[in-house]
Amino acid sequence: MSDNSGLAAERIHVTTDGTLLIDNVDCTVARGSLSALVGPNGAGKSTLLRALTAVQAPASGSVTFGGHDLLGMPRRQRARLAAFVEQDATTDSALTVGMVVALGRLPHHSLWEADSPESAAIVTASLETVEMTTFREREFQSLSGGEKQRVMLARALAQQPQLLTLDEPTNHLDIAAQLAVLELLSSLRDTGVTVLAALHDLSLAASYCDHVIVLSHGTVVAAGATESVLTEELIADVYGVTASILRNPITGKPVIGFSPA
Amino acid sequence: MARVSPLALGSALAIALLVSITVAVTIGPADIRFDEVWRSIASHLGIGVSPLSELRDGIVWQLRLPRVLTAAAVGAGLALSGAVMQAITRNPLADPYLLGLSSGAALGAVSVLLLGAAVLLPLAAFIGALLALTLTLLLAGSLGAITPSRTVLAGIAVSALASAITSFVIFWSVTGDSYREVLSWLLGSLSGARWPAVGITMVAIIVIGIPVMLTGRLLDSFAFGDVQAASLGVNVSATRWGLLAASALVTGAMVSVSGSIGFVGLILPHAVRLLVGPGHRALLPLSALLGAVFLVWADTLARTLFDPREIPVGIVTAMIGAPIFAFLLTRRKSST
Repeated sequence: MSDNSGLAAERIHVTTDGTLLIDNVDCTVARGSLSALVGPNGAGKSTLLRALTAVQAPASGSVTFGGHDLLGMPRRQRARLAAFVEQDATTDSALTVGMVVALGRLPHHSLWEADSPESAAIVTASLETVEMTTFREREFQSLSGGEKQRVMLARALAQQPQLLTLDEPTNHLDIAAQLAVLELLSSLRDTGVTVLAALHDLSLAASYCDHVIVLSHGTVVAAGATESVLTEELIADVYGVTASILRNPITGKPVIGFSPA
Repeated sequence: MARVSPLALGSALAIALLVSITVAVTIGPADIRFDEVWRSIASHLGIGVSPLSELRDGIVWQLRLPRVLTAAAVGAGLALSGAVMQAITRNPLADPYLLGLSSGAALGAVSVLLLGAAVLLPLAAFIGALLALTLTLLLAGSLGAITPSRTVLAGIAVSALASAITSFVIFWSVTGDSYREVLSWLLGSLSGARWPAVGITMVAIIVIGIPVMLTGRLLDSFAFGDVQAASLGVNVSATRWGLLAASALVTGAMVSVSGSIGFVGLILPHAVRLLVGPGHRALLPLSALLGAVFLVWADTLARTLFDPREIPVGIVTAMIGAPIFAFLLTRRKSST
């Protein structure tokens, strides 16, 4: 049964080569929200994101989105519902930007049918959303990091997902490109897509995200509305640094300053 | 760079293949004209009467035509296998010959020939190819992260072992012309190709090759690796192992009639990629077509260049392929 609930994960365990990476994680992401998954290196953010979208299925646990069992549903159906943008995707192939974005139409087509005009239109619209229309015939490999990330985002959008998860989408990007990505994610959230992004930069998370899930050593240590979760005490606990929550004089959003503990 | 329309290239290659087959059949020591060749072939298909004497008619129908058709099918199968392997292993140097499949297939084929079970030839070649591929990938994996160059190194080791055993088995068992026999398995030769070879290779192309050609979209999804393919709803391990097994099956069928012909699977997909780009829905069928045209001419050269002596066709393909392989290596030096 489809309903209006968001992403709900219960009792997620992920084990790799005998090591427990994700230990009994429960978490929820409200439908239509933009949420951040934060935590120190090695906390298990990537692993958890992959488990939630069944890209690498968890050893045990359940994940539902809108009441649908994400782990149990057929792969192609899942790929039409949930898209995942991995960190630093690279290719050796000379694919053009248009071809990369068209990959997002894969779950909507059978193998041998020709590209439908509808799919072509969705690819065009996805490129417009990320403002990469003029790059369509360019080779993906020739793009800058920020451009690549926007193309991968367009690829995910071409899947027409209701849930979008991203692993460190601002990694290796300059400040302007980081803000551009977060602005895009916010506007996607405004169109009704549920967005969950693993982020390193707590200030970015604080200024853009509605909710934050804090992961440490494979368990959720805090989750909820951004300002109530990202406190100076919690940051000190989880990251072992002294944090000062300040205000951005222009946006009024929290900005986090750090000093060694 | 400006690219050619896949449809235009496909049509051109289809015509080129038909023309190549007809022209290649007319070439050889016995001088037979173009129209005579076709009237002879038509007569065997029940249309009209052959204009040729029984002996010359036999040269066309029993020797040259099956050989040329086998060359076309083997070329298509090897090029297709190479294109699939390059996509699925994300390795631009992947090729049935370099990764040891061809040598494994030859070993499998020679082993059953020795046991006198020629009916099982394609099956044994398939098992040999599959074992060699598995061994190569295991060996490459045990060297650390699987990179293109490690995989090729592992393939060379597996290939050397399989070739050594093949040669040993032949020298140990065959009473006749062992050297010729060894050469034709290790370097590839179509000199023995008759109608049964046409049957085996055509069945492999139709039953396995054509379904594989329809998986282009799936192969495209592997461009960014397994995680992205999985996130697009692709069953990664079923697709990978299914397509690698299909490649081994096609390679096995081809090697069982031709021995291990190198570089066809490596260079032709790269040539097609330069012309039409990396999309696999066009790349797979076009590689097969170009492979067919290429091997028809390579084999024609092999049997006529030093007429009346014949050289193994693998020498011709290696002469053309090895420099291109070297070029691909130097172009990749930064990322291997």
